[in-house]
Amino acid sequence: MITKFQVAYKNLLRKKIRSLLTLSGIALSAWVLVSLLGFNHGFETALNKDIDNMGFQMMIMAKGCPYEAATMMLKGGTGLKYMDTSIADTIRKEPDVEKITPMLMQTVFDPNKGESGGIAAYLGVEPKSYGEMKTFLTFRQGGWFTQADAYEAVMGYEAAELEQREVGDLILIPGKNVQFKVVGILNRTGTQDDGTIFVPLRTLQKIFGKTDALTTIGVKVRKDADSSRIEEKFYALPDVQVVNLAQVKQTILSLVSTAKVLVLSIAIIAILIAMVGVINTILMSVHERFQEIGILKTIGAMPGDIFQLIWIETLLLCTTGGVVGVVLALILSRITELVFRNLLPYSPSGGLVLIDAKLVLFTLGAVLAIGLLSGLYPAWQAGRIRPLEAIRSDVNG
Amino acid sequence: MFSYVKRQIATKAAQFSAKAAGVVLVALLAGTGAAWGAVGCDLNDPDRDVARLFPESTGYKAMYISVQQRGGEKLLERIEAKLGDKFHGLFETIDIPYTVYEIRAKNKKIGYIHGVNQKGQFGGIQVFLALDLEGRIRAFYIQKMTSQHAGKLRDAKFGRQFIGFALADFEQYDVASGKASGRVDEIRNPAPEAEADFRAALRATKKNLVLMDEFVFSSKVLSPDNGASPQ
Repeated sequence: MITKFQVAYKNLLRKKIRSLLTLSGIALSAWVLVSLLGFNHGFETALNKDIDNMGFQMMIMAKGCPYEAATMMLKGGTGLKYMDTSIADTIRKEPDVEKITPMLMQTVFDPNKGESGGIAAYLGVEPKSYGEMKTFLTFRQGGWFTQADAYEAVMGYEAAELEQREVGDLILIPGKNVQFKVVGILNRTGTQDDGTIFVPLRTLQKIFGKTDALTTIGVKVRKDADSSRIEEKFYALPDVQVVNLAQVKQTILSLVSTAKVLVLSIAIIAILIAMVGVINTILMSVHERFQEIGILKTIGAMPGDIFQLIWIETLLLCTTGGVVGVVLALILSRITELVFRNLLPYSPSGGLVLIDAKLVLFTLGAVLAIGLLSGLYPAWQAGRIRPLEAIRSDVNG
Repeated sequence: MFSYVKRQIATKAAQFSAKAAGVVLVALLAGTGAAWGAVGCDLNDPDRDVARLFPESTGYKAMYISVQQRGGEKLLERIEAKLGDKFHGLFETIDIPYTVYEIRAKNKKIGYIHGVNQKGQFGGIQVFLALDLEGRIRAFYIQKMTSQHAGKLRDAKFGRQFIGFALADFEQYDVASGKASGRVDEIRNPAPEAEADFRAALRATKKNLVLMDEFVFSSKVLSPDNGASPQ
């Protein structure tokens, strides 16, 4: 016996082009929806990963001290401000603080870099606390310094590549004429660490006569801690500024959310258009089969049977369209990612469009729900057709 | 009331600046789509450097060529044989994208500038050669060098010793032992204390000339005479 599904399928095949166009509309809507939700998910995940890769959620530095390399280079390596190491001890005592890592940045002018000289920067770190904070740092060669006051250096991959250094080679601090032995080369991380030359904190303090001075303290707070409250507390410390990376993340997310709202609006419009397309297709199909439905009713079909038949057609269209859309989104995810990367002023490293099973199921469910909703009216219209009126009508003729 | 509004605006502005600074910070710390390939050797300021090395030039075009892309392992073997030394270490690899600056005066090609990275005693040395269309050195330029004696080796007087040299002059120079004969033997080291860096500069020069010979002067595609402008 022929089932309702088979009847619905055959009905859709009767108007192949129309069914295909409607299906394309649904597929495109599903594609846009999956891609956008995937982007939403992917962007946040990538951003979280980037922030986690920094190892600390807060940076504390002396007021007015440039806190990234680019600003420092623009200032010609000048303008570094210092805070006392005792601040690190105060912060360490804070119960909500899980870990801290003190750092000292120092720069020298190297007259033999380019035509007019350049800046060479060195970051003094404690290998233990810095390594613990940045667990993603792995070594391509060697390892961390052997002693806290050793004349040894660890180089980020790009710094080592520029200086053509390998483990066992020497580096020289221009102007100071102090030599360091390279004991470790880090693997690439995609962060600022790639271009950094790390030396033991104590050694750098000694060479530059900055004993008891720090430029930055990286702080990792406990997971359940209220970072805003801690930030307020740190602001009370004398002459320090606090950069809360959690807030930075929120700022980026809110900046991106403007773009997301715009694109999501487009997606909603696309879905509405697809919905209207489905309603139109099914309504036309019902209209064309006015007499046929009447005959079906005459031979015993109940309004519920007709309703189901029409609704199944919608279901078939939407399911197929949804599946095609999801497959499209999966295949084209790399291209979508490239488009987003080009459109956004800042995008984190790693995959920007993340499509997982949960998202696929959600989209299919949403498309199905929208489709079924769209099919309600045409199915209801078909169900209430009066048999005699339908047979007498001249809809096809 | 007015001062309250002003204060509010000031607070909002301060918050916005802090946020904007944070955004810049994260963008810088996180890096954006870092290139993961090997790094070549580019002029720091091509407009200025090209005009200095080729004063008569009116323009230039940068081309990126790697041994891997141009001929792979076979080409590498040929280059190593001509150099008389193997490519070694973490960073002297087959996939380095070398930048060749093709120099033009009006619409005429007048020469090339090409640089290589070389391991020095305390850091990377970047040796650039300005070559005429026959492959003879017009200018020698060490863009970067870390050494107490870098000043002497980067001095124009030292560079002038290389002018007029071509690959043929370096054929008898053994980069491994540093033994030279012929014209190369006449090149004087202005800083005997920095013998390692002096030899590194000579190796870089020979490597530079060998690469240019393979990429440009012996290449059918990049022949200096045919005016081809490969991409």
